[in-house]
Amino acid sequence: MLPSRSKLSVAVFLLPPLLLYGAAVLLPIAQSLFLSFFTWDGISELRFAGLSNYAFMFTEGDFWTAVTNQLGYLVVCLVLQLGGGLVVASLLISLTRGRELVKVLYLLPAVISTVAIALLFQRIYSMDPAGPLNQFLGLVGLDGLERPWLSDVHTVLTAVSAPEGWRFVGLYTVIIYAALLTVPRELEEAARLDGANQWQVFTRIRFPYIRPVWLTTSIMAVTYAMRGFDIPYLLTNGGPGQSSELVTTYMYKTAFLSTDYGYASAMSVFIVVESLVAVGLIVLVLRRKAV
Amino acid sequence: MRRSFGTAVAALALSLAVSLSGCAADSRGVDSTDVDPAGSVAPREISWLLSRPADGAVIRTMRELGDEYAKAHPGFKLRFITTPDRPSYIQKYETLAAAGKLPELFDTDATPFARKLARHGRMMDVSKLLHSLGLYDRYRPAALDYQRFDDGSLYMVPFEYQAEYFWYNKALFRKAGVHVPASLDDFPAMCRALRRAGVTPIALDGQDQWPLERYAAYQPFRTAGPDYVRQLKQNRARFSDPSGRKSANWLSALGKAGCFQKGFSSVGYADAQNLFTTGKAAVYNIGTWELPSLATTALDPAVRDDVDFFTLPVTEGSATAANEFVTPSGIGMAVNSRTYDPLVRDFLKFALTRYPAKYAAAGELSPTSDVKTVLPKNATPLYARAVATAGKVGKETAVPWDTQLDPTSNAKFQQNLVLLVQGDVPPSSFVSTMDSVIGRNAPRYAK
Repeated sequence: MLPSRSKLSVAVFLLPPLLLYGAAVLLPIAQSLFLSFFTWDGISELRFAGLSNYAFMFTEGDFWTAVTNQLGYLVVCLVLQLGGGLVVASLLISLTRGRELVKVLYLLPAVISTVAIALLFQRIYSMDPAGPLNQFLGLVGLDGLERPWLSDVHTVLTAVSAPEGWRFVGLYTVIIYAALLTVPRELEEAARLDGANQWQVFTRIRFPYIRPVWLTTSIMAVTYAMRGFDIPYLLTNGGPGQSSELVTTYMYKTAFLSTDYGYASAMSVFIVVESLVAVGLIVLVLRRKAV
Repeated sequence: MRRSFGTAVAALALSLAVSLSGCAADSRGVDSTDVDPAGSVAPREISWLLSRPADGAVIRTMRELGDEYAKAHPGFKLRFITTPDRPSYIQKYETLAAAGKLPELFDTDATPFARKLARHGRMMDVSKLLHSLGLYDRYRPAALDYQRFDDGSLYMVPFEYQAEYFWYNKALFRKAGVHVPASLDDFPAMCRALRRAGVTPIALDGQDQWPLERYAAYQPFRTAGPDYVRQLKQNRARFSDPSGRKSANWLSALGKAGCFQKGFSSVGYADAQNLFTTGKAAVYNIGTWELPSLATTALDPAVRDDVDFFTLPVTEGSATAANEFVTPSGIGMAVNSRTYDPLVRDFLKFALTRYPAKYAAAGELSPTSDVKTVLPKNATPLYARAVATAGKVGKETAVPWDTQLDPTSNAKFQQNLVLLVQGDVPPSSFVSTMDSVIGRNAPRYAK
């Protein structure tokens, strides 16, 4: 038990950040929730709209296209960030020299500005003039696969998701690598002496050990992907058509181009709820497996 | 990623916060028709929120005029807040409008959003203002008409005058054995011939979306005149009408004929221009604001002598004349009625009186008809011809559709246009989608 004076000290130190958090995060969410029950174009008076923004949202084809795209974006990001991060971290563990250099190289994209990444990938995917990706395909005799990656409705979603996934592989690699370092070596060696193969060592020893960290990284990756916005917006602005439109880019356009703030707020509430549900599911699944 | 999304949510929240604190502070400032308010000129800093190139002639000229005015009025300063990227600018301007924080002067097209601002008395009546300053009759009628709302009211001051042409490469046309198209309907055949000759027919900046939207406006402008889009945006005309259908079929034919470069939807302004100026593309549709790049010795000597232009071709039974095409006077400048006072009026009188001569001296086309463009020293003969052609236009103007349709319909229109031209949706589906989009959004926005 802390003495009462210490409790006061804790409160004094905790209160300002809590207030800041409330003002920066909770208040906007509450305001968005409030505004989602109104129709407002930014100029006219607010008009109470009840649940009509939500009713429209749940029946609008474009919104569901954006939700589906967001899930596709999420899958690509998770595969690259968590899957890629786990693979690279596992390989790093077995490296004896140059680990630090490899870590830095993988982390580098995370510190490059988003706009630079968008410009970089615009060049990489370019068709006319041919960018590095199409040039490479041509060089290795796969010219049948050459295409305008950002203009093809079948490839654009993956094409805009990949840079986001690639960008943070290094971050998740470092986190998972740090977790893997805590796995007791003697336990792994004992398992190997008992005849366990690499896969068994990984699934029976390593992964159970890093499960709490995996839970955290999963939550981070899922919530970040659900709020993914800037790279798809900069690369394609949601196009062609709605092929790379995410809920976030759709919400942004609805608010700031269509000036339909009420409907955009309903979408932002949806994003918050969607993220909370996703986090709940992750916690549930990983905790159940842990039992 | 996180920061951008967070900013968007925060901006949304800010807008709401303002609304809750009484979004309509319409009682402040002066009445939009009170163009000559009583009081003395008290120098202070005024701001202009604008969407023009920072090193462009408009800003350069107005900066000089602001400095001159400041010398005679100590304490005065004209501050420029520019966001040349138009979508970003629109977002900024609409958010500031929602927050009631627009500065003294701000740029806007004659969009439905601007119409709402005018209806709420947030912009000064520019027709009255220019009359009161004795400047109204100096302006080219076409330059003023471009800034008007459908009811003829005028709330924006034009600062430029442009004409949009189809620039083409004569050598590439000869190589493909094609001539300048006599009709819009000749475009698909022209493109096929150019493709066969291994040339990209038309360079298009698909990323900015408005260049492709221009093509969508051409057929209806020729077949039905400028009234079609005015009716369409109010849901009084439909895309399923003959003009709309013809436009959709023509755009689909352009796509099938491979008119635009592969992957055009993700190609930006500079790359599209580069395709033309390096002799890789045969045609480039752009306005006279690009004269310094296309009609001066700055252009690559390898293509300089081959560059020429033609104006928007007519169609059979065209409702508009050959000398009527897209002649915009650019984004206009609105005057905020909430901050309008004797100083703003006095400065505008000073600046607008001197602006045309200074602007024309920089080689630009003035929005007024009382000054002549001074050709730059490095101009090619094409420069003078382009300027002369811009001076001989007819009465009707093909208005850009992105300034006409409500923002939601416009966004969906731009998205679906790409799919139509890429062949991802057939014209019939495009037509029905657009009819339903405009049918839903136009009445909502008109409220």
